[in-house]
Amino acid sequence: MARKTVFIDFSKCIECRACEVACEREHNGRSFINVFEWQEMAAMALNCRHCEKAPCLEVCPTNALYRDGDGAVLLAPQKCIGCLMCGIVCPFGIPELDSLDKIMMKCDLCAHRRAEGKLPACVETCPTDALLFGDFNDIQRMRRQKFTEKAIEIAKSGERIQFRGV
Amino acid sequence: MDEKLVPVVCPYCGVGCRLYIRSSDGHPLGIEYANDIPGISNENGKLCPKGNAVLEYVLARDRLKKPLKAKEQGKFVEISWSQAIKEVAERLKEYSKDDPNSMMFFGSAKTFNEPNYLIQKLARMLGTNNVDHCARLCHASTVSGLKAVFGAGAMTNTYRDIEEANVIFIIGHNFAETHPVGFRYVLKAKERGAKVIVADPRFTRTAWFADIYLQHYPGTDIALINGLIHVIIEERLYDEKFVRERCTGFDELAKTVEKFTPGYVEKITGVPADLIVQAARTFATGGKGVITWAMGITQHTHGHDNVRLLATLSAICGYQGREGCGVSPMRGQNNVQGACDLGVLPNVFPGYKAVSDPEGRKFFEEFWGTELSGEVGLTVIEAAHAIEKGKVRAYYVMGENPVISDANTNHVIKALHKLEFMVVQDIVPTPTMEFADIVLPAAAMLENEGSLTNTERRVQWSFQAINPPGEARPDWWIVSEIGKAAGFTGDGPKGFNYSGPEDILREVNACTPQYRGITPERLKANLAGIHWPCPSEDHPGTRVLYKERFLTSDGKAHLAAVEYRGPAETPDEDYPFLLTTVRYVGHYHTLTMTGRSRALVKRWPEPLAEIHPEDAERLGIKTGDWVKIVTRRGEYPIRAKVTRTVKKGVIAVPWHWGANVVTNDALDPVAKIPETKACACKVVKITEEEARELMKKVPPVIPEIEIVRG
Repeated sequence: MARKTVFIDFSKCIECRACEVACEREHNGRSFINVFEWQEMAAMALNCRHCEKAPCLEVCPTNALYRDGDGAVLLAPQKCIGCLMCGIVCPFGIPELDSLDKIMMKCDLCAHRRAEGKLPACVETCPTDALLFGDFNDIQRMRRQKFTEKAIEIAKSGERIQFRGV
Repeated sequence: MDEKLVPVVCPYCGVGCRLYIRSSDGHPLGIEYANDIPGISNENGKLCPKGNAVLEYVLARDRLKKPLKAKEQGKFVEISWSQAIKEVAERLKEYSKDDPNSMMFFGSAKTFNEPNYLIQKLARMLGTNNVDHCARLCHASTVSGLKAVFGAGAMTNTYRDIEEANVIFIIGHNFAETHPVGFRYVLKAKERGAKVIVADPRFTRTAWFADIYLQHYPGTDIALINGLIHVIIEERLYDEKFVRERCTGFDELAKTVEKFTPGYVEKITGVPADLIVQAARTFATGGKGVITWAMGITQHTHGHDNVRLLATLSAICGYQGREGCGVSPMRGQNNVQGACDLGVLPNVFPGYKAVSDPEGRKFFEEFWGTELSGEVGLTVIEAAHAIEKGKVRAYYVMGENPVISDANTNHVIKALHKLEFMVVQDIVPTPTMEFADIVLPAAAMLENEGSLTNTERRVQWSFQAINPPGEARPDWWIVSEIGKAAGFTGDGPKGFNYSGPEDILREVNACTPQYRGITPERLKANLAGIHWPCPSEDHPGTRVLYKERFLTSDGKAHLAAVEYRGPAETPDEDYPFLLTTVRYVGHYHTLTMTGRSRALVKRWPEPLAEIHPEDAERLGIKTGDWVKIVTRRGEYPIRAKVTRTVKKGVIAVPWHWGANVVTNDALDPVAKIPETKACACKVVKITEEEARELMKKVPPVIPEIEIVRG
């Protein structure tokens, strides 16, 4: 089973927050992806990583958290008791408590869109392709390949330039 | 349930992105990305935050639903459509009989081509050329400057050419924030190995991606570009063959730029000399180069000259008439290009035929069957001044908001008070509406259909996705009803009898050479649209302009030699800072639309004045403190943000919230564009109470209008 997730390339993020607005639209006014700015200019979007060894999933006492076919960590609202365990163990601080229903909420990689064969809304909308959806290893292989190709090209031309993101 | 996906064009910026609106029986359910239409300007259906929030402003609670008539300023009673149209038509007819030039018409770059064509037709048939739109405040200098050098004022290339370029020069333009989807093509070029040169007084998100970043002072663009040209000529990096065969005026140019040595330019602009040399070499030797700019170049008293110089820079490097090359002025609103093309300008008819040219006038006199004025009309800012002299007494404002968008707001408000009669046609209440006598509720873009021309000359058809609220009507319907009520009931082009936007576009096809082959049928069948010029129905449209010759009288590019002039107002002892205005990615123009979108207001809730840490320390200002920006024209309260991204001595203020109360309305002599991008100011720290007090004097961006009974 190929485990797909949203891969984030901060070197391309222009902090336009289109992903946030798209997520908010798909999830009833709540965004599960957030763009953070640091050092005045550099920015990065962060959403649920759907970890391989997901601590949230492991600690959930009611098995409300589960994995779907694409490997996304989803929440079954009817099983959630709002104990906050998942929120406490998550290193990224992803699960949030819904103040109205007293259950947890988190990124579902747009399960409703994936069911129709579409990409998650944040990935679909990102104007600069800073967000990519796919298998982690595939994406890393693609980046390695790009980096190598560029390095070879530069070596051939004999030019001296600095790398900043590839 | 009858659920359908309707392809529309995004109602925001000039990129002209496509998206689908999911609707059921005329009610919106949501949006969907248009990733299945090949060749559109937003490849793979990408959208920026504004595009993602398009449905929110359409569903705003304070949408105008019935025609209104003013009882006193700001207080309205509801009236019927027939009464509203009768009243407007009668008043306009009176002014037309008395003195047609006492009326001023505003078209809108926010609405379709069809109503824009109609409003200028109405103005001209009523006997005046006083018709203009907001391009005057953003890209008037682009139109006049490019016309002077190349013979026409449009983008010479397309987004695909940006993607294919080897070097991209971005000046006076925060591309990443103003057009995120357009910036996609810059990043794609960069990924391919293209070099990006950015010149901006602020270290913007765009500059973050630059290979060479030139931080010059606002208003010193002429010196900077002259410096680049100096290096290119000095080192003989220009395209000699292209210059010899297709340009004139090179010797004069060479003589003028002689003194702009990198050292001299460094003194004026503050950009290190070696960076200027490096940028010039990189740009000229790229092989395929694109220059893009926007308001940072145009909104100056020397905006016209700025644009002429950029066009000259592009021409001497031979970056014209080829793929992967060209000049790309980035339009702010989704139909600026279309409104200009269809003659919503005081000096030209549709298709850029000059009103003063007897031949062009004769054509339209026969076409519309009426006598036309050959006198060049008033521009937006000139009209505001003409009211004071009593020359202009009536305004017809379609989808415009001069109170926020014009420079020197206080003056505009004073002028609007003096108007005798004002009609405002819009979708939501605007500060301008407070001065209106009659308010006509219009349908928003998604509730209406028609064609739009985006920044790359791409004409696209946007379909009706949802129903307008209440009695709101499409713009074309309102203008054509007023035209009929004013007595223009002739057949075909001689009157205002239209059954839909298709009729109007067919009439445009008949009188505008560039649009001749762009018929409604073709546009509806081809969602990706057609690039004008498209001279016949079997023509595929034109991607790159000027392949053979330029549109000037002799077919050559007229290179411009320009002496350096600074901004009209430079810092002095009383006003030690240079003020410039900027934009936020999530907001749009005068906030009429984005200000009503919850998702956007949540993320960009208020304006922040950017100030350099050293300046801030001297004044004792910290991030979050209230300050007031004072210029010779007014005061503006705002919170400060201390940041190293602005140059020392420069204050950057977002203009969406009405910062134009302090900007300068000095005009460019040719383009008549006000210098909103640079003026002298001082910054004074104030308390929150003082700020609240001052805030009351600034016109509210989202006003509440009062509807009274009887």
